[in-house]
Amino acid sequence: MKPDLRVNFAGIELKNPVLSASGTFGYGYELSDLISLGRLGGIVTKTITLEPRHGNPQPRIAETASGVLNTIGLQNIGVKAFVEEPLEKLHKTGAPVIVSVAGASVNEYVGAVKILNAQKGISGIELNLSCPNLKKKIICHDLPLMSGIIKSVKKISKVPVIAKLSPLVTDIAELSLVAQKSGADGVTLANTYPAMAIDVKTFKPKLSTVKGGLSGECVKPMSVRCVYDAYSVLRIPILGCGGIMNGEDAVEFMLAGASAVSVGTASLISPKNIIKVIDGIENILKEKKIKTAKEIIGSLKGGLRSRRE
Amino acid sequence: MKKRFDKTYKIISNKEICAGYFELKVKSGNETAQACSPGKFFMIGVPDVFLRRPLSIHDTKSGVISFLYKTAGKGTEILSKMKTGEISMLGPLGNGYPLESSNPVIVAGGTGIASVHYLAVSLKKKGTLYYGARSKKDLLCLDKFKKAGWKIIVSTEDGSKGYKGFITGILEKKLNSDDFIYVCGPSPMIKAVIKIAKEKNTGGCVSLEEKMACGVGNCQGCAVKIKGQNKMTCKDGPVFNIEDVEI
Repeated sequence: MKPDLRVNFAGIELKNPVLSASGTFGYGYELSDLISLGRLGGIVTKTITLEPRHGNPQPRIAETASGVLNTIGLQNIGVKAFVEEPLEKLHKTGAPVIVSVAGASVNEYVGAVKILNAQKGISGIELNLSCPNLKKKIICHDLPLMSGIIKSVKKISKVPVIAKLSPLVTDIAELSLVAQKSGADGVTLANTYPAMAIDVKTFKPKLSTVKGGLSGECVKPMSVRCVYDAYSVLRIPILGCGGIMNGEDAVEFMLAGASAVSVGTASLISPKNIIKVIDGIENILKEKKIKTAKEIIGSLKGGLRSRRE
Repeated sequence: MKKRFDKTYKIISNKEICAGYFELKVKSGNETAQACSPGKFFMIGVPDVFLRRPLSIHDTKSGVISFLYKTAGKGTEILSKMKTGEISMLGPLGNGYPLESSNPVIVAGGTGIASVHYLAVSLKKKGTLYYGARSKKDLLCLDKFKKAGWKIIVSTEDGSKGYKGFITGILEKKLNSDDFIYVCGPSPMIKAVIKIAKEKNTGGCVSLEEKMACGVGNCQGCAVKIKGQNKMTCKDGPVFNIEDVEI
């Protein structure tokens, strides 16, 4: 029997628990000739800001062992241009659209969300509070600012608001609780890991901004740990991400407590990988004779702390 | 949008054509081969490295695509050992060279010769190839260009063949304003050629190279300054108008 892959994430009905991760899938529609976008549980767009951004200088990418460092710097066309063309094309994909939003201040986040509010066909907002590649410090490291952004956006948003958090904190469970208390409908755990690499031929950093964000297979165990820690304290659901390359990786995140997952760096290697993740989850459920994807959420056997109320 | 494919193909051969340089031939089938044009590239999957590697198309012939590459790091080292079996490739990708040109001049440096070879055999009108390499042993494909009817001017840094020095030294003396130049090579060479073209008021295009992760414009990693804007080498290029490139 075909397992039921449907999950409800923060009030958004998904046909399966697999979404694209922000910053790795363009605005979301560009790969429609290579994969069937309608098969995705959802599409999280690249991060949009109120005004267009040019992004960081070259080099922006450096390969590492089983991973990638990047410092793109949120290059994007700005929210006004986004709602004109990409959003229109996204509607045609048939997948729920979650728009990733960032800014430097409460006003910038609110300004972008106000413009998105006037649009049809947006199922959720993901607040990128954790980009490591901007000149200012990561928003998650300024709790009053982070809290203010979530509260202000929640006040006006017509759709669920998900807070994407940085793994570079002392206690990810505490940080997730702050997001929950501020009104977030869900959290994405976690963004890339601040990291750096040096070219020993030139003695120079491999990225223009010296440090960047590390993603890919190598970060997966750390992100699974983030999900596990946060799941034990949260009431709101978790979108798990970090190095998911196949169905087994996705199931691992779900067992640790993720209600859905997002696939990022794997899509850079091959657009087809995200489809393989969906098929992989289905196959594992079939083999295990598990009828629904939602019943594996947080169902890690042994070692899981009881959920704090 | 032109057709592109994310598939695995059979390796026909992957031979070392001279020290450190390899030619990989894959059985692409006609559909993929017909989507190719000079200047486009594929992202090629290599085991044990994380990202695919961009390689420009060296030639296509009746259902076969070939790539010419130099072993330069872990990825190309591993690739050079893949002699049989299957290889995963995404492409053809990017925007290639314009093929209308009355006085074509090709300027190639190092392995830049790989993509301009496909160009040289595709252009109806033949012209002059200016080709610079480190040494005689690094000069590739000269017979192929000769066979295709191109006039060849070479330079080597050590003077072991042709002019001694950089190819731009000779180009500067010979380039005319009614030439149309196609440029592919290392960035110091490209910079010098852009300057020469500007001084001589010569039009043309440049194929650029950047570190890439996805090859399709989604990660925005391979940005390059084009008319003051950050454009993506993989999606907006890799071939750009010579007047627009700011490097």
